[in-house]
Amino acid sequence: MTSPQTLALTPHQEQALQTLLRRYQGGGQSALLPLLHDIQAITGWVDEPTARAVAHTLGIPEIEVHNVLEFYTLFYNRPVGKHVIRVCNDLACMLAGHEAIIRALADHLGVPEQGGTSADGRFTLELHPCLGHCELAPFLMLDEEPMGPVSPDQIPDLLGGVS
Amino acid sequence: MTSTISLTIDGQPVEAPADATVLQAAEAAGITIPTLCHHPNLTPPAVCRLCVVEWEGRRTLQPACVTQVAADAVIHTRSPRVDLARRTILEMLATTVDLSDAPELRAMLAEYDAHPERFGEDLTRREHEVIIDNSFFVRDYDKCVLCWRCVEACGTDMEHAFALGFSGRGFETSIATFFENPMPETTCVFCGNCVGVCPTGALKDRRVFELEMATDY
Amino acid sequence: MSYEPVLTARIGKIDPASLTDYEAHGGFQALIRAVELGPGRVVALMEEATLLGRGGAAFPAGIKWRAVHQAEGPKFVVANADESEPGTFKDRVLMEGDPYALIEAVILAGFATAADKGFIYVRGEYARAYQRLRHAIARCYEAGYLGRDILGSGFEFHIELRRGAGAYICGEETALFESIEGKRGYPRLKPPFPTQAGLFGRPTLINNVETLINALHIVLRGPAWFNSIGPAHSPGPKLYPLSGRVQRPGLVEAPMGITLRELIEEHGGGVSGSGEFRVALVGGAAGAFLGPDHLNTPLDFRSLASIGAALGSGAVIVFDTSVDMKPILQRIADFFAHESCGKCYPCQLGTMRQRDIIARMVAGQGRPGDLQLLRDIGQTMRDTSICGLGQTASNAILSAFELKLT
Repeated sequence: MTSPQTLALTPHQEQALQTLLRRYQGGGQSALLPLLHDIQAITGWVDEPTARAVAHTLGIPEIEVHNVLEFYTLFYNRPVGKHVIRVCNDLACMLAGHEAIIRALADHLGVPEQGGTSADGRFTLELHPCLGHCELAPFLMLDEEPMGPVSPDQIPDLLGGVS
Repeated sequence: MTSTISLTIDGQPVEAPADATVLQAAEAAGITIPTLCHHPNLTPPAVCRLCVVEWEGRRTLQPACVTQVAADAVIHTRSPRVDLARRTILEMLATTVDLSDAPELRAMLAEYDAHPERFGEDLTRREHEVIIDNSFFVRDYDKCVLCWRCVEACGTDMEHAFALGFSGRGFETSIATFFENPMPETTCVFCGNCVGVCPTGALKDRRVFELEMATDY
Repeated sequence: MSYEPVLTARIGKIDPASLTDYEAHGGFQALIRAVELGPGRVVALMEEATLLGRGGAAFPAGIKWRAVHQAEGPKFVVANADESEPGTFKDRVLMEGDPYALIEAVILAGFATAADKGFIYVRGEYARAYQRLRHAIARCYEAGYLGRDILGSGFEFHIELRRGAGAYICGEETALFESIEGKRGYPRLKPPFPTQAGLFGRPTLINNVETLINALHIVLRGPAWFNSIGPAHSPGPKLYPLSGRVQRPGLVEAPMGITLRELIEEHGGGVSGSGEFRVALVGGAAGAFLGPDHLNTPLDFRSLASIGAALGSGAVIVFDTSVDMKPILQRIADFFAHESCGKCYPCQLGTMRQRDIIARMVAGQGRPGDLQLLRDIGQTMRDTSICGLGQTASNAILSAFELKLT
């Protein structure tokens, strides 16, 4: 973690977040992962003030929120693109030519092949350990949408079709 | 009243309370087992695995600090398997962190004939800047072996301050504050317990640190 | 050889959203039968069937069911749906295609063990399975399969659906408990075992998805039927996720103990790429490579253990002779370095050193003692790691060197 960054939420998002926090009030540590998932569905990532609010909402030490945010790869405590593309980087997808998919995505988004966020902040490319769709290799997930087998020439349409 | 049981450690008949750990039973019999993460006042996290012993009939080596004795157990605190495990863990540790302030660990490296150099040079290490953000203590995580003692002391084992936790995971784990904020901005109460339990000089009294700095030149 | 699929019979034939469709295809018949039999008899059936855990550890399910059945409440049932082993997609296919079956199985397990509540912990990346299960659970509450007085039995049971968040280690049962409890997925020290002190410190029955689905059929068709399928030492239907260089990758249901050759030739349509088989990785990254010598080895727990391999999840990834194996080994080493939780030293350090050493070997800069280093690291991880992740993290790589794949 480097310079502190904070979420810029629309009034609508802010309201949704506050409603969510009220719903989880006093929920205890066991509600931590569900709450973080629900928050990220609204905000995309969790900044420091939000993490603090999570701790106070659930009634747990702040450090516990940090510990969990840092452990799980689907949680983000720094900015992430509006859409996250997770390309399966594992054995079956390697054998099915996932390199060409990664290259096409990286070229299109202007990010390194190891992953990164596009300059306009719309997309984050991530290489992900086996996504469990090996019969559909090469495989990727665009946010929560499973896609496979994918070919490199589908990439422009795939990205163009996203709001 | 706990009952007493008999077992064999290193060929020696040993009597121990039924609820004793192997480490306690061995110590009572005058047999030394090396430890690192273990601290008498803290919950044993059993993470360092340096105290492992060979227990005949069990598939894996057993951590002596948390494994309860059993009647008629036959245990070896030194064996080729045990020594290989201790040596390899020590070698990997020595190629990962700075052990210059950990004389006990350096002695262990010698005792187990560890040769960290056999791992070569082009290895991933854990490197961190020294953090001086308060007037009481300094954090030099180049020297941190992730024994968890400071986290436990800061948490439910002693202080209940909950200032210390973890960033990252796996090899890239580091001890951290909430969002890696400077210590004065955390729930730290500067009790000093974490500094007291640190076995490798990663946490150090600021005056001691400055004195060492001054005498280094 | 004709074999009628059981575990996957409904998949593709029913609408996974429709409870009535599920009921029309035999759904909830096992639970109805279980209520007729009573908890004690259901547990006895589970003991009579030699059902070895399908998550990979092959622990007899009946022993767990008995232990939790006898334990004092409150107690829990947990479905381990955190499928993350590379090459493994069987539980995903079950949950996406037949979500009510998992819910029925969890209720049945809860009834048999007199548990208070069930949890289904689905891998975070399995969004579609999660959504389908969420819908199905809501429908089951509406229809009275969940809640109070289920099927007039007086039994009250609830299911909470949980979602992982990107951590292979959470497939380890005690790390999974920690995750449900809102913590980092660090495996716990054992003992105590889950049946003694599991989720929230209470007696807990935790089974893999495929294991639980098998329980439905054991209750419906009986243990004799189950034990008659495949080899007597590890019987029953088995799911084999088949991928890599085969003509038709996919999920195969077969009697336990099918051979690698049958799997590849009869179900996978043969080897693709060069068309010539080189090696298969059996059991995922935690498994081992098997060469042509083992094409006729039955893929069951005991046969594979006897040759120093493991069935694990049953995943089979096939490699033909045209594949450069170096990047494959690097990927396996990278995987474990990325997924080690970092709790215990042997795995935290060993997975990274294994990765470092493989990297220099792959780059052609290996040192003379490197293979010995890998063996020492492997033995240390196997002997001293807290959990199965570290204990198996060197298996595939060491087996590749045994077979001289690079």
